Amino acid sequence: MKRLKNWQVPVFITFLLLGLLLTVQFRTQQSYLSDLSQQKTEDLVTMLNKLYEKKNSLEREIFTLDEQQRSFSADVFAGEALTRDLRQELLRQQMALGLVPVKGPGITVTFEATPPIVYLDIIDVINELWASQAEAIAINDIRVTTWTKIYWNKQNLALTVDGQIVPFPCTIKAIGDPEQLESGLRLLGGVLDDLAIYDIHPVVRKAEMLELPAADRPEIKYLKAKESQ
Amino acid sequence: MWLPLLGLLIGIFIGSALYIPIPGVFAKYLSVAVLAALDSTFGGVKSIFDDRFDAAILLTGFFTNTLLAALLAYLGDQLGVDLYLAAVFAFGVRIFQNIAFIRRQLLARWIQKRHLHAAKENGNEEA
Repeated sequence: MKRLKNWQVPVFITFLLLGLLLTVQFRTQQSYLSDLSQQKTEDLVTMLNKLYEKKNSLEREIFTLDEQQRSFSADVFAGEALTRDLRQELLRQQMALGLVPVKGPGITVTFEATPPIVYLDIIDVINELWASQAEAIAINDIRVTTWTKIYWNKQNLALTVDGQIVPFPCTIKAIGDPEQLESGLRLLGGVLDDLAIYDIHPVVRKAEMLELPAADRPEIKYLKAKESQ
Repeated sequence: MWLPLLGLLIGIFIGSALYIPIPGVFAKYLSVAVLAALDSTFGGVKSIFDDRFDAAILLTGFFTNTLLAALLAYLGDQLGVDLYLAAVFAFGVRIFQNIAFIRRQLLARWIQKRHLHAAKENGNEEA
């Protein structure tokens, strides 16, 4: 063995090359085995079937998710429609109650002079206007609502609406069908005829567009809704 | 003694570091070539123990066997004869024989060494 000292270099070279060859072959074999064209037909068929199954299940999932999305958006749409309806209803109620400023066609009734008129005359006119389907009424830009107080202030000798003195000439504005409102006032033996007895001749004018302010919000302390059921 | 192993490790390292793409079709021929290289290497190691080592024979054998094995496998494929099976069989048998020889040699040397060692110790005790 001693005299064959020169064996080490050639063996080193062969081992080096062997290692190189081994790794290259190892890697090639790995990629070769994972290559689809080298798989068995049955394996490929199985793989294909599995992929088909997976695809089908994913498609089913897409379908159910689509359906869910559709139903959700339908819910959202219904919710939005409901909210819109509720808003509209709320606004209608607020307008009816006089909580928001309103505008529309109607008539104005103007009283020129103070002396012969009493607050009951004003109330008569307003009641007649309500009776003629007026939807909103204001006296000198004070909105008349269900809780409006109209009375004669004896100290100041003035017409008072909700604590505010109404100076003359005063104008009653009413929103509604102008024809109906006017004909209501001009009924034979109606309000205007009654006033004419006292020589009061208010000026009644139809208006294309009237703007009425909002009233203050009523204070609700004791009221409770009676349960409907 | 450790130089060949070092060579093997370096070769493996180079093979891992470099990416040498071999088309899938040639993988079979390369595998036969690797088998031939293994056979040559073990043959070389055997010849060392046999005291018949020849660098020229080892190197030429390594290269020609490797190339010839791959070429024969290729030829067999072209002719429709599974010649690579013959190569696998021939090289496989030889590799096992060579490994068995190397194993026996190593075992024999190890036992011999121990005997010498034991004899030396016994001699010391007697002296």
